[in-house]
Amino acid sequence: MGLVPAMFPEGEYFGLLAEYDSPKALFHACEQVRDAGYRKWDAHSPFPIHGIESAMGLRRSRLPYVTLVCGLTGAIGGMALQLWANAIGYPMVISGKPFFNWQPYVPITFELGVLLAALSTVVGMFAFNKLPMHFHPLFGADRFEKVTDDGFFISVEAWDPKFDAAATERLLTSTGATRIQLVKRREGAAS
Amino acid sequence: MSHAPAVAIDSSQYSGRAFARLTGIGAALGVVGLGAALALSGDTQQFYFSWLVAYLYFLSIALGGLFFVLILTVTRAGWGVALRRVVENVMATLPIFALLFVPIWLGRHELYEWTRPEVAAHSPILQGKSPYLNEGFFFARAIFYFVVWSGFATYFSTQSQKQDENGDERISARLRGLAPVGIMLFALTTTFATIDWLMCLEPEWYSTMFGVYFFSGSVVAILSVTLLLVNFAYAQGALRGVVTVEHLQDVAKLLFGFTIFWAYIAFSQYFLIWYANIPEETIYYMKRQVGSWKSAGMFLAFGHFLVPFFFLMPRAVKRRSGLLVAIATWLLMMHFLDLHWCVMPVLHHDGIQLGATDVAAFCAVGGVFLAALGWVSSRRALVPLRDPRLPESLSFENV
Amino acid sequence: MMEIADNVSHEPVSGRAPLILGDPDFRSITEAVARPAESPTPLVWWLLFLPALGMLGILGISVGWLVWEGIGVWGLNQPVGWAFDITNFVFWIGIGHAGTLISAVLFLFRQKWRTSINRAAEAMTIFAVMCALLFPGIHIGRPWLAYWMAPLPNQMSTWPGFRSPLLWDFFAVSTYGTVSALFWYIGLIPDLATMRDRAKTQARRYAYGFFALGWRGSARNWQHYETAYLILAGLATPLVLSVHSIVSMDFAVAQLPGWHTTIFPPYFVAGAIFSGFAMVVTLMVITRKALGLENIVTLFHFDRMARIMLVTGSIVGYAYSMEFFIAWFSQNPYEQFTFINRAFGPYWWAYWTMISCNVLSPQVFWFKKARTSMVIHFIVSIFINIGMWFERFTIIVTSLHRDFLPSSWGMFYPTMWDFGLLIGSFGLFFTMFLLFVRFLPVVAAAEVKSVLPAANPHASDEHVAPALAGHLAPKGAY
Repeated sequence: MGLVPAMFPEGEYFGLLAEYDSPKALFHACEQVRDAGYRKWDAHSPFPIHGIESAMGLRRSRLPYVTLVCGLTGAIGGMALQLWANAIGYPMVISGKPFFNWQPYVPITFELGVLLAALSTVVGMFAFNKLPMHFHPLFGADRFEKVTDDGFFISVEAWDPKFDAAATERLLTSTGATRIQLVKRREGAAS
Repeated sequence: MSHAPAVAIDSSQYSGRAFARLTGIGAALGVVGLGAALALSGDTQQFYFSWLVAYLYFLSIALGGLFFVLILTVTRAGWGVALRRVVENVMATLPIFALLFVPIWLGRHELYEWTRPEVAAHSPILQGKSPYLNEGFFFARAIFYFVVWSGFATYFSTQSQKQDENGDERISARLRGLAPVGIMLFALTTTFATIDWLMCLEPEWYSTMFGVYFFSGSVVAILSVTLLLVNFAYAQGALRGVVTVEHLQDVAKLLFGFTIFWAYIAFSQYFLIWYANIPEETIYYMKRQVGSWKSAGMFLAFGHFLVPFFFLMPRAVKRRSGLLVAIATWLLMMHFLDLHWCVMPVLHHDGIQLGATDVAAFCAVGGVFLAALGWVSSRRALVPLRDPRLPESLSFENV
Repeated sequence: MMEIADNVSHEPVSGRAPLILGDPDFRSITEAVARPAESPTPLVWWLLFLPALGMLGILGISVGWLVWEGIGVWGLNQPVGWAFDITNFVFWIGIGHAGTLISAVLFLFRQKWRTSINRAAEAMTIFAVMCALLFPGIHIGRPWLAYWMAPLPNQMSTWPGFRSPLLWDFFAVSTYGTVSALFWYIGLIPDLATMRDRAKTQARRYAYGFFALGWRGSARNWQHYETAYLILAGLATPLVLSVHSIVSMDFAVAQLPGWHTTIFPPYFVAGAIFSGFAMVVTLMVITRKALGLENIVTLFHFDRMARIMLVTGSIVGYAYSMEFFIAWFSQNPYEQFTFINRAFGPYWWAYWTMISCNVLSPQVFWFKKARTSMVIHFIVSIFINIGMWFERFTIIVTSLHRDFLPSSWGMFYPTMWDFGLLIGSFGLFFTMFLLFVRFLPVVAAAEVKSVLPAANPHASDEHVAPALAGHLAPKGAY
């Protein structure tokens, strides 16, 4: 992760990159690639396409569990901190209220729960996505900069067990790709 | 102006006949309950208090129905059209609450101490409040509430039924224009009805939040009732494929959100009074922490908030109608406990005393409510057949 | 799709009006949004930026003088220990809430029209929170000790007073600032990638590219991204409710008449959303014109924003009436006096400004002509913010200056340094916003693209509902 070049298995080529001209074409192409049994592949689009996760056969993201665990930790930790600090660490009588009560500690408990939940969600999302990854072989491909504009692509990685330069290219052509290119692996900065 | 075409749904799925059974059950329950209540009415004060709790409980559901329909209308919601008729049927029962109010009026001296001249004579505070707290104005306000509620409920449900016949799109536009006014009047009437009938049980106490508190409970109640009614329809073989798991998931999401909202409102009111510790305000909660009222209150916090919060969090739960029926039933029980905890400490100072009169009154009011609901539902389609947004609602899918 | 010149004069009873006008394709959205940041700086920008910078300078001087001389340079006294400082704090936090509402709450309610304004609104939130945090920081008298509010183990063995609402503020506002910034940044990543891929110079490519984190539009990434977005929206919603509720508790937990009211938490939240939307409207009326975004931030969007202002303004009005009624109903002479003093005492002009700006002026939005008029939006939104500032001023100062004991009564008169900080905070706000408009994409282009009809992979496929046979799929439906 980070500014270190992306860690991919050895090989001269990264894989095949196919371009499509609409979300609909990409969606149906994904279904076909999924059904053909490929595992190490991806679709690329300028915006998330509704329903593409099932078209690609992806499992639901596990991020919510991360959020839940960290949120609860934050909340319980927050309550514990306050109870300890104001009742044991340096007890002070404030407006005659008992040392141990939960009511005034609710706001901060809630806030710390939300804070930790949000931080863990962001960090977790980056971790699951393996971001930042500033250097990726696809950035060297032709026309790939359209992916953040209006381009739609499928990339199939060369180390997928079913990958075969000719057969995979035939499959992609049959899904309606307008352009297919073989992408080289490149160490170092994206062009 | 155009007319929306009829959508081709199988008539067995939308026939109101599915709810006809409710009329009979409700009527039987009502008669039995009323009989039992009258038999037990030796203790008149207990009778009136139990009736008040039962009345407020079912009123909150019907008012919640009015609110839900108005909100769906004013937000031009597409997802909810398929189940809107079921909610309209609940709201259409509002007129009978004027009738059910009679025992409360008859029992006002036992319920509301400010109506007793000897109490008011000794309290300068009550004398100061008398421009508002006098029987004439109290009665007039009640009439006003029922006129507003019945007026809007009847108009919106009859217009919606009319649209079933002619598909006139102007009806949708008209209701859309009227809904904001309805919401404003709803807010004012519900607030003051809550003040009159619930807050004034303890006429020297006050809280600006109280109307919002009752409202938050009623939204939780109507969402739970909607889930139950849809599942009841499924059991009678209706609404299958019309109101789908997608709609139920949305209702469940709203239920999740409004459970949190209820907890937020309840806690805000409690917390601010607790913190400032002013005796004329804290008396309300002090009374509700005596004896078993304390554990009832804690159970309420746990059952009305924590349990549904964690239960309704997972997406999968929101898509299983069996689980939703379970949590809806639980929340309706909690809603009863909520109202009971608000009302009964005025009568039973030492602790919770659920008795036969409570059950009888609940059956009496509930029976009449169910009978009315069944009667209204069986006379019309269970789906607004020619609402222009019905196709959008039927094909609705959650992400 | 319906070919109409605008998307608001005829509201369809079935189907939905198009959100983006001109039937654009994805490329034209990219162009429209990215171009302003790539073009040379227009004169209009400098004409706005230089005065903003000037006001920021006033802020610097005012803060500097305050820290050097002390709180005495303000008009605070006994009994009025809080005035402009806390008014400004609550004012700015309130404005920030609209951004979170647009981003998070409208997202949860599936209101697709939010995509045209959420980026600008979220940016506004962050800058508003910056302005807000300034005030608690400097009003504590010894701002160099502000870190004492954090629970850091120290040689004195002391701990912050967690039971105080002022400390809850510290946690709430910091959490809110952090989460808003994270939410804004996460939303920016795909658009920063767009800017990176369009960059003409090495410097720009590295600048945008560094923060774009190597985003490449991967569907697997989008999946986790969308999940994170939904979770953050789900967290931000109760967060925004809690933050302004906690701010309201600064007042509501006291025993002061006019402050101690149980309805304060939701009332303050509604007021915050009200003023925040007004500020979004003020900013967007100018921004959309200056950047040529009228087809993306359309009259439909302003219509919806007007309705939200009407709703939240009504909730505020409801709260005013409840406070007023219960003040009388309670028969508490101190409560009753407070409300009479607000309307007819020495600060009556502040109270009536508040009523006319908050309750009366938004009523124009009942009329469609008003909801779709930029001039009316601009004027009314400024009135609303004036009214909301005066609302906080009224609440704080009228309850403090005359409470239980007449011998303790006093008056508050602002000094030039009070005004300096108020003007200066606007300087900070506008400076940051203008910098944002200059260098970053003002509209969430990726999100806007995703709500265009062409983005739907099932477009023109009919999704057949289970119960139906042969129904009509509504055109343009979302």
